[in-house]
This record gives sequence, structure tokens and C-alpha cells, in this order.
Amino acid sequence: MQFEIVAKCPTTKARVSRLKLSHGTTALPTFMPVATQAAIKGLTSQQVEALGINLILNNTYHLNLRPGMKIVKEAGGAHKFQGWNHNLLTDSGGFQLVSLSKFTKITEEGALFSSPFDGELTMLTPEECMSIQHTIGADIIMQLDDVVSSLTTGPRVGEAMWRTIRWLDRCIETHEKSGKTETQNLFAIVQGGLDPDLRDQCLDEMIKRKDRVAGYAIGGLSGGEEKDIFWRVIKQCTDKLPEDRPRYSMGIGFAEDLLVCVALGVDMADCVFPTRTARFGVALTFNGPLNLKSSKYATDFGPIEKGCPCPTCSDGQSRAMLNHIVTLETAAAHAITQHNLVFQARVMGGVRNAIIAGTFPQYLKTFFAQYFGNEGYPEWCVNALRSVGVDLLADRPDVRVVPGQGAKWDRAQQ
Amino acid sequence: MSACTLAFTLQNDFAQFAPRLGTLSLQRLDGTSTPEIQTPGFITASSRGVVPHLSRDHVKMTNAIRLTNIPFESFLERTPPVPTLQPGLKPLHAFLGFPTWQHILSLSLRDPFDGREMPANNKLYVSANCIRGVRKVTPADWRNYAIACKPDLVVALSDVPYTNQLHSQKRTTKGIERSTGWLADFLRPVAASLTGEEEEAKPHHLNVLVNLVGGTDARARTLFSQGLIETLHGREQEQVQPIHTLDEGVSGYIFDFLPLRLSLDTKSMTEPKQAIETDMFAELARASLAPLPQNKVRIAYSTTSPHEILRFVQDVGVDLFDSHWAQRAANIGIALDFRFPAIPDDMPIWNDEHCPCPQLRSNGKWDLGHNLFSEKYAHQHTRLASSFLNGTSPETQTEDSHVCPCGACSPSSLSIYLTHSSADARYLETEVPQRPYTRSYLHHLLHTHEMSSHTLLVMHNLSVMDAFFAGIRQVLKSSPASFLRELDRFAQTYDESTELFDEAEKLWAKIESERGKGRLAREKQSSGQVTTE
Repeated sequence: MQFEIVAKCPTTKARVSRLKLSHGTTALPTFMPVATQAAIKGLTSQQVEALGINLILNNTYHLNLRPGMKIVKEAGGAHKFQGWNHNLLTDSGGFQLVSLSKFTKITEEGALFSSPFDGELTMLTPEECMSIQHTIGADIIMQLDDVVSSLTTGPRVGEAMWRTIRWLDRCIETHEKSGKTETQNLFAIVQGGLDPDLRDQCLDEMIKRKDRVAGYAIGGLSGGEEKDIFWRVIKQCTDKLPEDRPRYSMGIGFAEDLLVCVALGVDMADCVFPTRTARFGVALTFNGPLNLKSSKYATDFGPIEKGCPCPTCSDGQSRAMLNHIVTLETAAAHAITQHNLVFQARVMGGVRNAIIAGTFPQYLKTFFAQYFGNEGYPEWCVNALRSVGVDLLADRPDVRVVPGQGAKWDRAQQ
Repeated sequence: MSACTLAFTLQNDFAQFAPRLGTLSLQRLDGTSTPEIQTPGFITASSRGVVPHLSRDHVKMTNAIRLTNIPFESFLERTPPVPTLQPGLKPLHAFLGFPTWQHILSLSLRDPFDGREMPANNKLYVSANCIRGVRKVTPADWRNYAIACKPDLVVALSDVPYTNQLHSQKRTTKGIERSTGWLADFLRPVAASLTGEEEEAKPHHLNVLVNLVGGTDARARTLFSQGLIETLHGREQEQVQPIHTLDEGVSGYIFDFLPLRLSLDTKSMTEPKQAIETDMFAELARASLAPLPQNKVRIAYSTTSPHEILRFVQDVGVDLFDSHWAQRAANIGIALDFRFPAIPDDMPIWNDEHCPCPQLRSNGKWDLGHNLFSEKYAHQHTRLASSFLNGTSPETQTEDSHVCPCGACSPSSLSIYLTHSSADARYLETEVPQRPYTRSYLHHLLHTHEMSSHTLLVMHNLSVMDAFFAGIRQVLKSSPASFLRELDRFAQTYDESTELFDEAEKLWAKIESERGKGRLAREKQSSGQVTTE
């Protein structure tokens, strides 16, 4: 792996970099779409690459259950299995163990869980987790971490953090012995919940291991915590993490979250949100999300967003036509998924261009003005960006500031 | 007003009811033309205005899709129907995203594959179905919708009852009368007010297809056709002038087999049911065609197998069929794998261990495809169809090799690549060949409810259909005398029974029930049943 910083924002902590992996070079900051079961829902690999996307995510937990490692191995790895010629990242499965399995018991040895299909008990150890990801063959692989919900408090948070560090050591050992360090790059996951002291200790320990990890992820967030706490944890991590390693914020996908994270120094993020919301009929635009199920679009012959280069908008597919098929024909999900992934890529592409041009603060202001308009800016975004020297309200004293998540979503979400 | 004219040219001498080769082409008045459709060929089925499971880029890259029928009834949910409000010269094409230079669109009121029971039609309207319930569509409505949408072909309204009972002779007679009257009304010149031009009423030049009605009564069918070629007089003639018979205003004929199947009691038939059904339908189709000129395109809807298609080519001389059954196969996880002419018994394909051929049934015939839900495909990391090579097979170099060009077997990089910033590396640093999708991958996608499975299967199955029809045309072109022999050999090679479809549907339903809202409750229920049994 080669990681090269191309440009830095003089105001914020944002940077543009190039990440060269075995299956090509990806420009960062970037958003990574999620192909949970080895497919971006409804699309073919050819369609995804045509959108200008060359780094996607597969879920280890899911692929390990179905189709199972025997089949992935026979097929020659996940790239070949799904016909994807570009970069691939796999998570460790730690998160799904907690969120999906009916029964999971964490021991020092690993995570004992029951298969959702046959109930059979399986032990996922850090060593096994590495071995599975080696079989999958992703360009970036994640350590097994002991994940607790971000709302958890008490000694369990510290226990999980320290165990995550011990598991990181076991992952590093296994990975280095595998002889795959040239083609697969192991990322550590910073844990520690919402406790600044624990986060700090975790950062110290993991940074000690810098020479043996290719990058760092910030985990344990996006679990329903206060946004005002969320950004402070991100900032605490990015302030401390080494410059010369990519930083990956897990489970982030709303445009405003992405922009704030990038301003705080994050390089990569993933989320099912843009693809999932597409299937519910919500199209993302620079003027805010559109719920295409709404009858107000039934006779609107314009595209989702004028000037959008995605296959859906550039073909002239109208809001009216999408309104006619949305949630009734899978073709609507495909069309909106294509659009939403291009929207995410455009937001991030615009970020890269702005950082290179030295105009990132202005890009943030323009984006927020257009995206939130008169509905008000989320207060936490204003606070977070102020912490890195960007005042969204500087030339907009009249704009409303909304506490909490921000009001924009009520209209669009189901 | 007129947007295009349809030409249908037959390429060989033929008897009235014999296999025939033809070319369907459209000349648009703006000078553009569409690709010619060679017949025998097929019409792609659509739902709510889209080819199910395909995004527009997939439709465009699937060469098999060139002629599509659009049932209008789903648009009746709103008044006025939304496509009628679409601006532009070709509103239907524009609304649905079919390029005019690539696609011929036909418009029918009803979905020809929807056999649900419907409230009776009467002399004023036809009952159509949409998601908000039954809608009554008058002949005047239908004409206005068609004129506003400007499809390339439009099916005139006809009175075909979709009620679950045998129809009396009186009902059949009424149906014929209404269908004839509605056709005459449809062929009326368009009033100037509708064209927006300051001229007198003139012919609308819609290319009109007519359903040959008459139910299961051969005499009634002939009667309807005779009505079409009767020279009109007096007021009737004035209404439709300058044409003299209704048939002059008609571009082609449709046989709608679904209502016939519904009104027949096929359960009492002995095997081979399908062949007997074809014989009956062929006789009815010939009864309809007997009085009519032979140079117009003949379309059959709701054939259910390639075997049946071959018999209608042979026994009636049908030119166009639909691909609904192949699209349904894609819905339930079947990858089609057959060729016409049938692959000879001694070909290595039947014993290829690396790429297994379809299953051999107890009757000594092969399945028409693979039920990819089946566990046996979990480990088959090979191309979808044994009968077709894929885009990267080394054997594809030879001239007579059969390659499936679909987006699953021969995926290719799409022509447009987006880049999103100046920092992005040239997108494709090295041109990596696209890897064909495998049975094992599709098996995985099917079992994980991934929509991409159906997308890939629809593209594949339509391409297999396209090759099937190309094979039919090739035989008719090079040795027409051998067609009947090839038909028999096909029937001896491939199984026509519904076993494959039945098995796939069962597995599809099982996997489908394991997902979505209420899944846990269903699981609980079924496990509860196990313990009480």
C-alpha cells in the first residue's frame, strides 16, 4: 500500500490523498458504498465502476455465513466471485456479531456466536477473523474488535477497549505470518466509547503499533449517541492519529456527517444509508433529499437533479416516472441507487477539488446553504466546523440553527 | 401528427399457414428509422412501463430488447394518465426512456399476461386494472391516450371477457360486435382540435394492431375476421374514410391465448397437454386468419414454452411471440440453457464436467435451463449456460461457436465512466477484462435475496430467447424443408413439462418467505408446526 498526501486544507484538518492498493489507486477523502453480500444492491460490478467508484466494502460476517469460505476460496476470492476489479475493504464482522446475532458471548479467546441459520455455535477468534479475511482477499482488512454499543456505560466500555487492543496484537501476529501484508492491509480500530480518557489510552496504545498497521478506523460510534459528542470523539481521534496513515470513520453516510468528518481529518467512510434510502424511494440531491413516493412528483418531468451526471439523471429519467415505479419495481431502486451513489461521490469529489484549490471552507458554506437552506443548520455541524476554523454562520447571521440531528430528515425518511 | 409508418415485408414464398421469414421496420417521419426486427422474433414484456429488474443502461445494452409491449393500465392510477402529459414528439418513448432509434414500443390497454378475473365489460367501456382498483376505459378514452402517447404500435380496444366461466354464444357475438365497433371508432381520423393543427381532420396514422377475437368458437373467429375485410358503406364508411375496410387500417393481428386458456378446462386433458392445446389454438388461429390477407404481421401472446413457439411457427406461421415466460423464469431463479437447432446428442456439451448441462429428466429429455436456487449450483463456478460460451472463453474464436452476449455471460465495461475530482487517477489504469458471472455467484445472490440475481438472469434469458429465434430464422433461411425435422428433434431433446419451473417456483417461494416483515412470526409458526406434528 502507498499512501500519499496530495493537498491539505490550510484552514481545517482536511486533506486529499492517494491510496494505492493492489487493485488500483483511490483518491481520498472518499465514501465507500456497502456491498454487504458481495453485491451493491441491484447493481452489477460494471455499473458500479461506471459510476466512478473504485473502493467498495464487503461484510465479513455475512460472506462467512453465505456463501461460506469454502466457496469464496474455490472462486478465487471475493474480487473474482463478484466480478469486481477494483479495491475492496472488508470489515471484521465484530459489529454484526453484536447487532445481528441472537446469541453472542465475548470471551478473551474470541466471540462465541450462534449462526442465524442453523443455530450452531461458532467461535470467531482474531486469528480466525484474519484467516477469513485472507480468504476473501480484500485490499483493506479490519482487525476483530470488541464492539459495545455507543450508549453503553460502565466498566464494560473499558474492558472492550483493552480487549480490542489485545485482539489487535493477535491480528497483527496472524497477518504478518500469513505473508499477505503486501497485498492486504490491516487497519486497527480505535475503541473506547464516548469516554475521552479511554479513547486517549486506546489511541496511545494503537499508535505505538503504528509500524505494524496500515491505517486506523474510528469505531464504536454511529450507534445513536448525541451528535455533539460524536464529533468531539472524532476530533479527539483525528487530532492524535498519525498524519501518514489513512483514517476511516465507520458507519458514516449522511452528507453533513461526511463533510464534518472530512473537515476534522477523516479520509474514508462507509454506510448503507445512500443505497438503503434509495430502495425506500429517497433520492439525495444538493438541495436536500427528495422522497419520490410523494405524489407531488407524480407529474414532475424533470430529473432528480439537473446537471447530475449519473445514469439516471443523464438519461432524463423523470421524477414522475420514478414516482410511478418507486417501491413497486426493482428498476426504481436500481435507478435511485445509481443516482445516490453518484451524489455521494460528487459530494466527496467536490471536497477533493476544493481542498486542492484551497477553497474547502467556502465549499462547506455553499453546501450547507444549498442543502439545508432555510430549514436550519444542525447545531452540532456549526459547532464542529467552528472547532476547525470554519464559521458556517459568518455571512449568514439570519440562518436558523437546529439542535439535535437537524430537521432535514423528517421530510424524507419513512 | 403521424409519427411513423410500419412496414412488414415477408422474405419468402409461403403457404398461408406455414413458417415464414419477415422483417418489421418503422420509418419515422422525422427521417430516423429503427433497427429492423427480423421475424420470427419476440416482444419483451414490461411491467409499469419498465422491463422488470433492468435499469435503463441495462435495457440499452441488451440487444435482445428491441421491441417492447407497454400495458397502459398501471398509468390509470392518475387522471389524466401521466404519460399523456409528457412533452415531446414521442411522449411514450421519452417518459419510459426507450431511445426512438433503438426501440419499437407497442401499447396495449391491458397487461396481456394478467389473467385475473375482472368485472364484466359492457358496451361503453372495458374494465382495466391498476393498483388503486378497477378502472373503466371507454373507446374514446383509449383513443385519446394513444394519440397523446404516440406509441409505434397500438392495440385497438377489444371486448375479451376475463371472467371465470364459459361464455355463451350470445356473449361471444356481443364481444365480436363491440370489438368491431370499437375498432371502427379507433380508426376514425383525428379531429383538428386534437392535433393542434389548423387543418381538417385527417387519418391519425397510428399503426393499429387488432386482437382477433371470437373465443374458442372457430366459426365466431372467422366471422370476426370477415367483418374486418367487408367493404364499408354509408355512414360507416364516412366515419373511417379514406379507408374502405377496417382491415385497411390495421397493421397486424394479435392472438391472445391467455383468455383462451382460462376458458378451457385443461385439467381434464390427457398428456401431452401442451401439444393438444397448441393444436386447438392453432386451429382457432387459422380460423381467424383464413379470410384475411397474408402479408400482415401475426403476433401470439402467452405462449408458454419454446416448443409451443416452434409449433405456432410451423402450424400457423406466427411472426412474433412474447418473452414473458423467459422473464418469469428469471424471476424464479432459472437460467435458460437451450439452443435451436437442438444440440446433437453426440456433442461434448452433454458430458462437460466443468460446465454441467441441464438436468436429464426421467423422460430422457433435458431441462430448458438451470434452477439456480438448487444447492447443486453452490459450487459450480462456471458460466451460466452450457450451450453458450461466455465472453472470455478461449473457444470463442471459432466462427461457428455460440457466445451468449448478455451482461452476465459477456459483461463489458460500460462506455461512460464518471470521474469526480482532479485528484482521481485515470479511472481504468489497466484494462482488466470483465469476468463473466458464474452459477455459484447467482446461486449466492438468489439465496441472499439480492436483486442483482434477477437483473443478470433477465438479461441472460432474453439473450437466450434472441438466439433461439435467430436459430429459427437461420433454419428457415438455409433449409426450410428441415424445419419440421428440427422441431421434432428439439422436442425430443428438451423437456416441455413444467417440472423445472415448478421446482424453481417452490424454492423461490421458500426463500422469499424467509425474509421481510413477519419473518420471525412465520418461522415461529412453522417451527411450532414441526413440534406439534
